[in-house]
Amino acid sequence: MLQPIQALDLVLLFAVVLVSSYFLASYIVRIYTRKPSWLDSFFSPIENIIYRVSGVDQDRTMGWKEYFLSALLLNIVQMLIAFIILVFQSRLPLNPQHFSALSWDLAFNTVVSFATNTNLQHYAGEKTLSYFSQMTAIQFLQFTSAATGISCGVAMVRGFVTNSKGLGNFYVDFVRSLTRLYFPLCFVASIILVYLGVPQTLGGYSTVRTVEGATQSVLVGPVASLVSIMQLGTNGGGYYGANSAYPFQNPTPITNLAEIFLMLLIPTALTFVFGQMIGKRRESIPVVAGAYSLFAIDLIIAFIPNQVQVGPGIETRFGGFMSTFWTVVTTSVTTGSVNSNLSGMHPLAILSAFMGMMVQSIPGGKGVGLMYMIMYIIITIFIVGLMSGRTPEYLGMKITARDVKLVMLAFLIHPLIIIVPTVVAFASGAASAIGVSSSSIGYTQILYEFVSSAANNGSDFFGASANTLFFNVSTALVMFVGRYGPLACLLAISGSMIGRKRTSGSSSIRTDSLPFCVVLVASILLLVVLTFFPFLALGPILSYYQGHVNSFA
Amino acid sequence: MAEEKKERSEAESQLKSRKHSIARPVVGLALISLTACGLIFPLVITGIAQLFFPYQANGEIVQFDGRAIGSNLIGNNFTLPIFFHGRNQSQSASHVDPDITLQDAYSQIPRISLATGIPSTSLKQLVNENVEGTFWIFGSPYVNVLRLNLALIKEYPSIYNESLLK
Repeated sequence: MLQPIQALDLVLLFAVVLVSSYFLASYIVRIYTRKPSWLDSFFSPIENIIYRVSGVDQDRTMGWKEYFLSALLLNIVQMLIAFIILVFQSRLPLNPQHFSALSWDLAFNTVVSFATNTNLQHYAGEKTLSYFSQMTAIQFLQFTSAATGISCGVAMVRGFVTNSKGLGNFYVDFVRSLTRLYFPLCFVASIILVYLGVPQTLGGYSTVRTVEGATQSVLVGPVASLVSIMQLGTNGGGYYGANSAYPFQNPTPITNLAEIFLMLLIPTALTFVFGQMIGKRRESIPVVAGAYSLFAIDLIIAFIPNQVQVGPGIETRFGGFMSTFWTVVTTSVTTGSVNSNLSGMHPLAILSAFMGMMVQSIPGGKGVGLMYMIMYIIITIFIVGLMSGRTPEYLGMKITARDVKLVMLAFLIHPLIIIVPTVVAFASGAASAIGVSSSSIGYTQILYEFVSSAANNGSDFFGASANTLFFNVSTALVMFVGRYGPLACLLAISGSMIGRKRTSGSSSIRTDSLPFCVVLVASILLLVVLTFFPFLALGPILSYYQGHVNSFA
Repeated sequence: MAEEKKERSEAESQLKSRKHSIARPVVGLALISLTACGLIFPLVITGIAQLFFPYQANGEIVQFDGRAIGSNLIGNNFTLPIFFHGRNQSQSASHVDPDITLQDAYSQIPRISLATGIPSTSLKQLVNENVEGTFWIFGSPYVNVLRLNLALIKEYPSIYNESLLK
């Protein structure tokens, strides 16, 4: 249970997040509506050079198919570049530790993982990747997958804007996401992180002799620049195998709070962006209310058990409270960074983490979380419409049978790509090959691996021990389908909204009302519980009733 | 006939330019983003960090007795009975946790006192002077093992210089 002062910590943190992201939201809206701004004199010349060099016609708008295919193709080319860098690592510069090249399957897993914003890591960065790889494969894809995600999110919103002509131009959105959003924010965040103790050097690992005469290696590198984008871009993949539990990645309780803030900032801002972009600010109400009431439920579940101050898997400087809180945040915004070892977590905290990854919009990863929330709103309107006998309408537009089919397809891809590989992992012996037992604990670990992959979250129990052909290839496929499948469906819905007739909407359901928010939250819970309950019952819930406290080790 | 041909060749060239318009932006943007995100950004940050915050940027290396003995942020493995010991590192998430809880530090006082002859009350005071981790309403208290031990050596130079020489 929470102590009053801990509850106060959370309230204060959220107040800061909500206020900052509210202001950031109007800036984000200006980026994507391309309103003239005093920043143009700085950014536009740079952007114009990029457009000219790459032959982008910045005034051309795209339909959903072209928008999606441009994003997919660009991502695939970026994966290819990063793949080449990883498999030729040993011949490339900035490798003072002389790390060898990655195997093809580990490189494949890694590039798909980072290009899909998942950041599942089957390697420990400090023992596997050169400085060059950390920069040009990992950080590179962290930036580009974040820019791709937020572009697609904004494109989906454009479909709902009155008199919209198209979903926008993907290349322009991608470039502006980087130049105007991620580079400035990450620049400030990196410098602050360095000041607070996160290293940023290319000088190689140093060896020191301790007071007692033993030798010790100090594993430094270009860490701060990576941490800034991994948190702001809801990527989550760390410089070190222990991720944000490693002191160089997260040195103090202050950096811990700062990194939680960075994770929540853009996803929360996007909930406000929705209402501002479609010109009806009140329509953000169900998005914000839906996301944060589910977040509250997540927190309550995770904080039912008593919080240990410091136990196995918990770092002393964070303690049980901030470790549990981090776990809830990182799975809610699908970042996937960890500041503890998940094996030290209580089954109920793991249950809460599963919830975050299964709903995917609490408030979810940047861009994609918002897309999922719009999906849930459409499902809810459809259900409410059926119950009350009214034509389902959203923002005055009729919801058609095709919309509902696409929404259900987007939703059902998820359980399919989780349960099939989970079963195959046990049936084929791949699970026991890496020492996973056929108990509620082992089942939870494997289920978590695939839920995390499908949700493009990336936190996991295994780390480098899952570096086997089976897990590298299977999770890579799950991550790929889990990212681009729903993206295609949701952009298709949005694309079909363009030019759709709008009624005045006097008879339709009011989506900005409190009753609708309540029904929305209930429908999301119902959908997710009905779909996933059998999986969860065999995993964390069974572990809880078997009396395990923190024995996911 | 001639017109038809012209129309066809126009349509063909349009088709060509459309094909071209997919490959060029994709390859162009992939290479530009690689350079900007993977090289320029981290290198600029490295430059600024090294210029303004060299101590933090290089891992907060601690100097003692004229040589580097470790990092403030990385658990230093103390084993002698005269020092405070870090956590059993197989129990932490990072395996290099640099800190211990106050209870842990207090529980080691009798051993250190026995080995060095320093009174328990002085040791307890030293622990309390080195508590960190709380600020305003946030955080819970802990001590950094390396800093605590260095404070110990600084406070009792005669005892420690003699023991370390042995």
